[in-house]
Amino acid sequence: MPVKSSQNRSYKIQKVVYQIELPMVKHGTENLAARLGAFAEKYCRVIASDHVVSLTDNAMGQLAFQGHELLRELKLEVPEHRVMVHINTFHTPAHLHEILESCGGLGVRDLLIISGDGSVRLPKLRPADLGIGGEAVTSVELIAYIRKNFSGFFRLGAAFNQYEPPDHEHAKLIRKLEAGADFVITQPVIAPTAEIDELHRTLPVPLFLEAWMSPRIELLGECIGCQIASGSAFDPIEVLHRLETRYAGRSFYLALLNFAKQFELVVR
Amino acid sequence: MKIIVCIKQVPAAASVRIDPVTLQLIREGVGSVINPFDYHALEAALALRETAGGEVTVLTMGPPKAETALREALALGADRAVLLTDRAFAGSDTWATAYLLSLAVRKLGGADLLLCGKQAIDGDTAQVGPQLAARLGIVQATGVSELRFVDGATLEVRRMLDGGGDLLRLRLPALLGVERDLNRPRVPTLPGYLRAVDRPVTVWSAAELNPDPALIGLAGSPTRVVSSRPAELPKRDTVLVRGSSADGAAAILRCWKPRKETI
Amino acid sequence: MSNEQAHSGIWVPAEIRHGKITPATFELLGEAVRLAAANADKVTAVLWGGGLDPLIGELGRAGADRVIAIEDSRFDVFRDELQAETLAGLTGKYRPAIMLLQAGSLGRALAPRVAALCHTGLTADCTGLAIDPASGALLQTRPAFGGSLLATIRTNGCFPQMATVRPGVMRRIAAAKTVPPEVVRESAPADRWNGLKTVLAGFGREADEPSFDGAGAIVSGGRGLNGEGFALLRRFAELSGAAVGASRAAVDANRIGYPHQVGQTGRTVRPGLYVAFGISGQIQHLAGMQNCEVLVAVNTDPEAPLMKLADLAVVGDAGDILRQMINQFQTDGEGK
Repeated sequence: MPVKSSQNRSYKIQKVVYQIELPMVKHGTENLAARLGAFAEKYCRVIASDHVVSLTDNAMGQLAFQGHELLRELKLEVPEHRVMVHINTFHTPAHLHEILESCGGLGVRDLLIISGDGSVRLPKLRPADLGIGGEAVTSVELIAYIRKNFSGFFRLGAAFNQYEPPDHEHAKLIRKLEAGADFVITQPVIAPTAEIDELHRTLPVPLFLEAWMSPRIELLGECIGCQIASGSAFDPIEVLHRLETRYAGRSFYLALLNFAKQFELVVR
Repeated sequence: MKIIVCIKQVPAAASVRIDPVTLQLIREGVGSVINPFDYHALEAALALRETAGGEVTVLTMGPPKAETALREALALGADRAVLLTDRAFAGSDTWATAYLLSLAVRKLGGADLLLCGKQAIDGDTAQVGPQLAARLGIVQATGVSELRFVDGATLEVRRMLDGGGDLLRLRLPALLGVERDLNRPRVPTLPGYLRAVDRPVTVWSAAELNPDPALIGLAGSPTRVVSSRPAELPKRDTVLVRGSSADGAAAILRCWKPRKETI
Repeated sequence: MSNEQAHSGIWVPAEIRHGKITPATFELLGEAVRLAAANADKVTAVLWGGGLDPLIGELGRAGADRVIAIEDSRFDVFRDELQAETLAGLTGKYRPAIMLLQAGSLGRALAPRVAALCHTGLTADCTGLAIDPASGALLQTRPAFGGSLLATIRTNGCFPQMATVRPGVMRRIAAAKTVPPEVVRESAPADRWNGLKTVLAGFGREADEPSFDGAGAIVSGGRGLNGEGFALLRRFAELSGAAVGASRAAVDANRIGYPHQVGQTGRTVRPGLYVAFGISGQIQHLAGMQNCEVLVAVNTDPEAPLMKLADLAVVGDAGDILRQMINQFQTDGEGK
């Protein structure tokens, strides 16, 4: 894929390191201490196994505590490049800076920048907040803003949605890379496709493939907005191994990993 | 400044089921949230407290689980939370609700400022605020889109009316109904929630408020729902046009005839 | 709140804006005339402010049998507390059975305050009114729960039965009434609110506010219309004289301001022609425009709810179609 990469970025990929997305702690006082404890326990398991923790930002517009809040409050250890925090465009500018500065202070160096899901509760960044013109703030503008204001401090990731119309999505990806994205994460890959093959071959920055670790494949259909043909039962671990063979050398991002049933099987 | 914010817990989805017998809405099984407009009222209170000092009390009337709404308000920074709950209050319309809220406000020793969100998304009536102001005999301003603290006894507000609005100076005590434009509400933090876990919530039933039983609940409500049915839409025979954009545009422009005024 | 003495008469407090009676006031008088016919009742308009005499005749022609006029220039600006007390006092004296007010920012401030003072029931944003033949009571229908339900409400034993109605929902009477109205002069009570609330300044309509009242056609954009599409929409509206509306999704996406929002939590409109570009047709939006005469929907998805409901459903890209509409309108001069 023809992309102008204006920066020479070196990036070490370790063998078989999974990015593991943790279920975040939703807002509410009920069982708060217990829920925070359960989160900390999962967090520590992932870190102790030398994998990477991924913390989402109000996914699906559902209010949950922020990654940096949890790290700070629970005094969780942040080994270098072991924690990736998502940041979306649904923040006030003051809050955005608080997140970035807190993450920096806590030792987080990897951020996944996405447009994100809003809700009536969540404020949306406006172009004027970032000192730019235009209609709206998407992940492109946010990546450019963070790169400009925190130059080189964070590694910034962008999302690629292979379920969207290809031309549209490739054009967006180019804009994200030009804005300064250092790595790319796909939407859940459930089978090898020509498009993923091409990304794997040609993307000039590190590529992480998302794997759907829940047997409930129909939920993925709801998330991405199209029906997934479910013939035989979906075996996520089997699919993961198949993808790892096909896309050797790539790191995988695991969504909906079941800590009770799957963690030991998957984590080597 | 002593501020009371009236909030309401509403079903998370805008559509709910109606009990066919009582014609009251069935709340179980549907997630509940604080009425979206109320966040702006609470934010205004918290911001005023930052400027003027004082105390922010959050007040709500509802079933026992409305307490979770109060906990969220405490997590956002309210100083005190009061829940009015009693079987006898159930079925109250806006008049009866305003009556009960006024009793609670008096029991709290009154306030310099009362704040309400513009309207509740389940009832959509926007009535309780002004009714409460009338009962308390205080000045009101609804549709407030800007608010400025002048001193401990005075506020300036910009309030919207259709086709424009006013800039008003109000002497406290006063009641304000606020618009979304007023502010961008803060999102609660983890420390805020941790502090809220153990905070007490004051619960008042009929025993503490001592209302006139003839003025509360279904029996005390001047308005009564007599029937409820799903909404239907006017029937139209649809003509579907596919083709080039030029064809589509031409078809639409054929609808453009001079329209008569509604007389 | 006395219900021992008989209550009769349908009252419509007039709303005045920039010295003129609002179209909705005439619509409410039209509805009052229709409701009054059921009980051979009388319709009274209440008018307050300065320089009222020229307006009294207009109210009469729109259906008022009587006009209660409170000539007092203090009411040239909206005074929530004093107006509420004045109306409450008048209802105590004259005992109307029903009072209809315009729903809107002013109505939302005034009507509930009056209802509280009168200890009576108020139903806001009614879409339908009728007299119950059995009891003579006012049956008030309004949408609830995002518009998915229609509830019918009665006020029991309290008077006046109060209801507010949004502009564009009711219709004024077809032919002007020729008998001049009876005129009664009243005055406001002593102003115990003096000094508690001061109007420092008034401000007029913001530049961005659309004029939906009396709009022949409204062109409206939704989620499926991007920023560029909205620019085209505005351009076409400018050319054709249509008003510009929007769905909530478009407002939330910052493509257009809230005054343009049509729907449950926005404006109710009743134009001759409503053309929706990229609006799927959720029930909250339908609640604001479903009673338009002719409905046109433009969408890439022929299965979208609004496409199924429209008189004319055009499958295509909204932006491209708008470009074509602008070209054709300019070259052919159609629609003029």
